[in-house]
Amino acid sequence: MNFFVPFCIPFIVGAVAMFITLAWKWGLWLYRLPRADKKRIVCGLPTRATLDAAGEVVCESLLHRRIFRVNPLLGYMHMSLAFGWFLLIAVGWAETIAYVGFRWVPLQGHVFFRYFATGLPHKPVFAFIMDLLLLFVLSGVALAWGKRFFSKRMGMRRTTRHVLGDRIALSALWFIFPARLIAESTTCALYEGGGFLTGTIGAWMGEHISTMTLLTLESVAWWFYSSCLGIFFVALPFSRYMHIFTEIPLIFLRRYRLRSDEKESSYDRFQVDACSRCGICIDPCQLQSVLGVDNVQSVYFLRDRRYGMLRAEVADNCLLCGRCAQRCPVQIDLNTLRINSRDRLHNIPAERRYDYLKGVDRSSGTGKVGYFAGCMTLLTPRTLVAMERIFHAAGEEVWWADRDGSVCCGRPLKLAGETDAACKMREYNTELFRKHGITTLVTSCPICLKVFREDYALDGIEVLHHSQYIFRLIQSGRLAIERGAGQFTYHDPCELGRGSGIYDEPRAVIEAIGLLLEPVDTRENALCCGSSVANTAITDGQQLQIARSVTAELEATGAGTIVTACPLCKKALGRGAVHAEVRDLSEIVADAVSK
Amino acid sequence: MAAIHFGYTISKPRAIDLDRNNLRKSDEILREMPELQTCIGCGSCTAVCTAGNLTEFNFRKVHTLVRRGEYQGAYEEMNKCMLCGKCRLVCPRGINTRGVVLLIKRKLGDF
Ligand code: SF4
Ligand code: SF4
Ligand code: SF4
Ligand code: SF4
Ligand code: SF4
Repeated sequence: MNFFVPFCIPFIVGAVAMFITLAWKWGLWLYRLPRADKKRIVCGLPTRATLDAAGEVVCESLLHRRIFRVNPLLGYMHMSLAFGWFLLIAVGWAETIAYVGFRWVPLQGHVFFRYFATGLPHKPVFAFIMDLLLLFVLSGVALAWGKRFFSKRMGMRRTTRHVLGDRIALSALWFIFPARLIAESTTCALYEGGGFLTGTIGAWMGEHISTMTLLTLESVAWWFYSSCLGIFFVALPFSRYMHIFTEIPLIFLRRYRLRSDEKESSYDRFQVDACSRCGICIDPCQLQSVLGVDNVQSVYFLRDRRYGMLRAEVADNCLLCGRCAQRCPVQIDLNTLRINSRDRLHNIPAERRYDYLKGVDRSSGTGKVGYFAGCMTLLTPRTLVAMERIFHAAGEEVWWADRDGSVCCGRPLKLAGETDAACKMREYNTELFRKHGITTLVTSCPICLKVFREDYALDGIEVLHHSQYIFRLIQSGRLAIERGAGQFTYHDPCELGRGSGIYDEPRAVIEAIGLLLEPVDTRENALCCGSSVANTAITDGQQLQIARSVTAELEATGAGTIVTACPLCKKALGRGAVHAEVRDLSEIVADAVSK
Repeated sequence: MAAIHFGYTISKPRAIDLDRNNLRKSDEILREMPELQTCIGCGSCTAVCTAGNLTEFNFRKVHTLVRRGEYQGAYEEMNKCMLCGKCRLVCPRGINTRGVVLLIKRKLGDF
């Protein structure tokens, strides 16, 4: 058997083109990785990380477990296409071996085996399994068709709008399996065999269609099937389907602890191309659901960045709230990618900037516990006063870093892409903290908290959010609280919750004071107040619109007081609230301190 | 009589001849950020300014001069801003002040 007929050519050309492109892309990206990243890979290869990554590849790239969690039907669709196709290839391979033994068979021999196997004795078990798998994949294709029209049923209000390359690949993909069904059925019609699907259709065709027509049809069908495969393979590396092959190395690299950073790097390519444009990130975005802005979401941002057509309007219009990243089944580090795109667009050298900070020190006090209010807290003096009362009640001696004039923590600059300038703020504040020899740093602003924890080198200084600090005071008995009859609801600030993983302490503190009522979207799914410093694009009116929608949800709990733990959230929600009072966590604590 | 020091200074009176200034950049800026035209010059932004608290930097003055076509030094001045966002929270006209800082820097980078 020589396993070659002319109709194989489109498939062979497509497959070869695809593998060359893939090898070239992967090679280039890996080659361009920074030296430190390469070292991480080499060191990680012989460890458990490799095994864990392999396991994750099976769970995610084949079974799509995380999509199942978003919506089972959507998960099934993705799984049937990925896992089903994988099984078709794997079982197909086994089938070839079963028929011809262990001998070398070219790729097209495996793929079009049914065409070549007509002269061989029939193996009904394989025919049955292969038909079952084909049905499995076809059900996924049918769902994909359906999703175009009934996306809501799959838990998605909006689906992604696609570029031309995607449309070509998508159409080819949609036709591959129906084409395979018809091709195999016609062959069955002529030579018998096949399982419950191809065999039955084949038998029906054999009865109703003349042999001459069937012969023509067979050749046309196989040519069509092979062409669909060829077109799909050629288009794949340039379309969203590149994610099929990119998610796999991404999972490994992530396990070897490679991370994206505030400056673009070659590793980002793996993340950007691993986006399948599934569109799951669209629905959670409040810019879409509240404001109707529908071209800036992560899926579009990544698409534009990948094809080199990213505009500042898209990169800048995002709250970096992380609601999309929290849902992304590929777990792409969307916020960091957005930040390093902004860095590329907006960063300016900053050697001479902020020279005026030299020698500035407006701090006061001498304690080992430092309190950094942050710019925003200085605008919400009630928080500051409340913190003063809490420190006093606990008998803490405090070093006040910035009560009489702050220097920003640098995160707003970083979020805007001016990362070099942000570095200057870091240097200044780090030096200040070191100079005063503090061992604990408390801040009431989650934005500062995040940058202190992640970007500052503050070894030896424990950084705490005031919610954590207050919680410790209560737990250790240093702060006595009187429980009252108040009913509270809590708004998770993005930078505190999704950003820093702090959900429990503020809740524990509130529960020590009164009754806590949870809103519909809470914890990891909490909404953003809309006033995020990360967004320099939306207008004041739009911020207010988001704030109103968020406070409406919070007020629906029936609580008289909306509590939050971020000065910026407090300002934002305060504008949106209709009848509830908006207060910072520290304020309600200060009021409940036993006299 | 010795002047009483109230803790602030007043800029010297001066005249700007709008016919002589080239308003092209100013027009571009206002086209991209029309809300800046609604500024009432209240100075709240400057009063709370983090950078202005530590150095000679007056946000209201800089963006007002830029709108009048006085671009000299505006870029360097705006580079003193820390983008902290306090000004945006106090502006009674809800002007996207951080956006203004970034826009002026983008438009006047070469002045
Ligand atoms: S970013 Fe994640 S959620 Fe959004 S389309 Fe890409 S893979 Fe899907
Ligand atoms: S981070 Fe938030 S605002 Fe930005 S795209 Fe994601 S959901 Fe939308
Ligand atoms: S102010 Fe608070 S809720 Fe708003 S974006 Fe920032 S952290 Fe999120
Ligand atoms: S964002 Fe800039 S101009 Fe506005 S208050 Fe902060 S430092 Fe001043
Ligand atoms: S606070 Fe707003 S209205 Fe007042 S001067 Fe500044 S920009 Fe103008």
